[in-house]
Amino acid sequence: MTTFPEIRPVESRFRLTPELAAGAIYRKYEKASRKVWDPKQLDYEQDRADWERMTDAQREGIVTITVRFEAGEQEVTDELLPMLAAAHALGRFDWVMFIATFLLEEARHSEFFCLWHERALGLSSPEEKARYWPLREHTVDPQGRFTVGEPVYEGLPKYGQKLTAAVQSGEETAIEAAFVQFATLYCAWVEGVLTMPSYEIVIDTTEMWDVLPALRLGFKNILGDEGRHITFGTEATRVLIEKDPGYEALAHEVMDEYRGNAVGMLEYQRNVPGLDLDKYQRQKARHYLNRCREMRITPDQRLVDEILDPDIDFVVGVEAG
Amino acid sequence: MAKSWQCLDVGCGAVVSAGSDDELVKAVNAHVREAHGSYELEEMILAVAEDAPDEGEPIREEATR
Repeated sequence: MTTFPEIRPVESRFRLTPELAAGAIYRKYEKASRKVWDPKQLDYEQDRADWERMTDAQREGIVTITVRFEAGEQEVTDELLPMLAAAHALGRFDWVMFIATFLLEEARHSEFFCLWHERALGLSSPEEKARYWPLREHTVDPQGRFTVGEPVYEGLPKYGQKLTAAVQSGEETAIEAAFVQFATLYCAWVEGVLTMPSYEIVIDTTEMWDVLPALRLGFKNILGDEGRHITFGTEATRVLIEKDPGYEALAHEVMDEYRGNAVGMLEYQRNVPGLDLDKYQRQKARHYLNRCREMRITPDQRLVDEILDPDIDFVVGVEAG
Repeated sequence: MAKSWQCLDVGCGAVVSAGSDDELVKAVNAHVREAHGSYELEEMILAVAEDAPDEGEPIREEATR
């Protein structure tokens, strides 16, 4: 019969060491534990009244963003598990603790958008929401230089499967390399660059029109959570790149795969009437440079130039090809 | 401890300093709001904040490039 010490030496069963508890990732876990919010506690009545008086163009501008957010939050909730398994496999208990809050928060964001669509707009079924979904293939670069992909619906499952396979292999370097790619795509690129303009558009617009206070508050709460998710991903990636500088190329590679999504504003971000879209493109460049700084990697200056190039933009509403 | 943060908005490069983390977050957001019509998240500011050489100096802002 196996003795207890043979199963696992007693000292090694205590994972939360004083060193981990003093670290940056554990601090994020503590902060997440303090910052819990409940979508069911928000008051959706004013949003319902505002929705009734908004114009069709205003409604369209908002709902094309929120339906993408609802599905997107559900997708990222469902695709986060490989990161948790990888943190466990790498023996990083502080990462495991933080990712547990990360997963809970993504689930909460999913719940928020479901509630908002149901209580403020009266949209409950997937079919009702799908009617407002702008098709990605209708976003086209008229000069044919860039294509727009689906980093959330195609990229995350793909890199999640790669990370899962690496975890199952048990090879530390394979797990680290796949973690860098997954975290770069999820936290740095999707959450930390591509999605950031959408938050600003919704907050700016609802302030400008003085409407939808519950939606605005929900977005602000979500942004607070996302700040931790993004900087967890960039910090974890930084740690791994510091260990093996060769991983930096992997981070650039995965962002480059979905480069086309950054160089212009996408279909669901272009529907709000009267917005200065150039402002959000400039901010996208700043967010990219910030993420590179957090990961301590060298930014791709050509990408920055492309994001800011006024001659590179998409048109929407035509069939691709 | 005094902290500083540099703005990476293209063409800006302003450095914002403050006497504490909380003050830095407020000062950075004042800069980003006034100069760029935007905001920075607390976690992102603190992730790259550096110890400033002169502890306790008042908030200041300077363009560096």
